[in-house]
Amino acid sequence: MRVYFRYAVKETLSNLWRNRMMTIAAVLTVAVSLSLVGSALLLKQSAAQASSQWQQGTRVTIWMEPTASAGEIANVQTQLHNLPIVKHCQFRTQAQDYVEMKKTLPPSEANVLHEDQIPTKFSCVPTVPLDAFTVQSTFMHQPGILTVTAPEQQIREMNHVIRILQIVFLALALVLLLSATVLILNTIRMAIFARRREVSVMKLVGATNWFIRIPYITEGFIQGLLGSAVAIAAVTALHIWYPLHNEFQLSTSALIGTNIVVLIVGVVIGSVGSSIAIRRFLDV
Amino acid sequence: MIRFENVSKTYKNGSPALKDITLNIEKGEFVFLVGASGSGKTTFLRLLLREELPDKGRILEAGRELTELSKFRVPFLRRNIGCVFQDFRLLPNKTVFENVAFALEVIGRPRSTVESQVPLILDLVGLSDKSKSLPGELSGGEQQRVAVARAFVNRPLILLADEPTGNLDPANSESIMALLERINRTGTTVVMATHDKALVDRMRRRVIELDKGEMIRDQVRGVYGIDESVAI
Ligand SMILES: Nc1ncnc2c1ncn2[C@@H]1O[C@H](COP(=O)(O)OP(=O)(O)OP(=O)(O)O)[C@@H](O)[C@H]1O
Ligand SMILES: [Mg+2]
Repeated sequence: MRVYFRYAVKETLSNLWRNRMMTIAAVLTVAVSLSLVGSALLLKQSAAQASSQWQQGTRVTIWMEPTASAGEIANVQTQLHNLPIVKHCQFRTQAQDYVEMKKTLPPSEANVLHEDQIPTKFSCVPTVPLDAFTVQSTFMHQPGILTVTAPEQQIREMNHVIRILQIVFLALALVLLLSATVLILNTIRMAIFARRREVSVMKLVGATNWFIRIPYITEGFIQGLLGSAVAIAAVTALHIWYPLHNEFQLSTSALIGTNIVVLIVGVVIGSVGSSIAIRRFLDV
Repeated sequence: MIRFENVSKTYKNGSPALKDITLNIEKGEFVFLVGASGSGKTTFLRLLLREELPDKGRILEAGRELTELSKFRVPFLRRNIGCVFQDFRLLPNKTVFENVAFALEVIGRPRSTVESQVPLILDLVGLSDKSKSLPGELSGGEQQRVAVARAFVNRPLILLADEPTGNLDPANSESIMALLERINRTGTTVVMATHDKALVDRMRRRVIELDKGEMIRDQVRGVYGIDESVAI
């Protein structure tokens, strides 16, 4: 066993060194494709995190016409009060909003505003975030109401964009993973070709199939492993330095999970590439 | 040690290479396999190495039935068989010592075995002083002796040789022949395919002659051709 271990390590390292250019190409392709896989996964988790955060605070805002009568405002208020899908509402008067706007806007713009130009509004939190739409359609065309806005639409659009990005990332990653597998397959094929004399002598003197195969399998395995290591470094760097991190506050466990997936995929394509090469080119 | 029962072999493309061969080779025998080019000598040896399987018949070798042997067990069969070829088949970037040691290393023999056995066998073939040379630095005869050392270092039950003197001058042929005889005297069964008439005639060992795949002669103390005037 120890004899074999030494032999396999020596053989694998010398194969990797002999084909170092191809090895580098294969490792880099694995790294790039796995970085894409990792980023796509992080993006998906960020998006899920973000939309759940936004939905927590989903508010429907019912804007009254600036000219709405007190009766109309009271009517809307009772309706909101009686609606079971509305948790609670806050009525904001023109005066309250005016004060707030003066604080947020630069003085040059704030000075142009007059208190009676600002619409009164109800800011409501629905019991379930998705009910925001129902509240919106209920009040949309009632008298005295200017418009009803819900951030639901924005969330959907954001999710849509993220999903498209993710599909693009994954499609690219898939193509690259395929070429990485082919590159690994090719380096193993070259290693086998360089060793064909040794292999034929080994077969002749009765080396077992696994004894002959294992150095080539570990070669592919190591290429996959190196590729994933580079990709993990890239994904982790992205997680630490990219602003998405601060905004969405992805947990460390999400990052670790993503890196585990990256590692497994890398090792799998390394092993698959070398297995195919062995089956096709190492006739034992 | 070796038993053929009605063995026939036809390659996928062409004419039959062996036709209905039945024979028995005992442990410790020395057998010459003779016949014109294309008569099936190499095919005979390839069947014994289980590089090919017969289409018909059974082959028993070293207590195993080759037609029943699973692929998984073939390496263990081959550990009982040494093999020498016309073209030596040494590894050019390994030294003489490493070439011989390789045969033990790749079947998982411990380093201590390698270190004790390789010098012994190099001594037997008379190449102790060349153990650090590369094959390219040796004469053809010396290279073939390294090949014999590699084939015999694991003490196989059977030694197969396919025209081992085919590339050598008479003097070197003699030394290889002497080596094979010496190995045979240790109880190893030797089967040697050859075109070397002088050698076969002088040795007076068992001769099996093939002709277009058929066994036309099996003679206990034979010569290369039984009737010279007809054979030519
Ligand atoms: N791998 C192969 N595929 C197809 N046909 C083969 C193969 N090897 C040998 N043959 C055919 O089988 C027949 C026997 O060939 P074999 O090599 O056994 O002859 P041989 O006696 O060793 O000849 P030589 O003295 O020239 O080495 C020949 O007709 C040859 O063409
Ligand atoms: Mg031949």
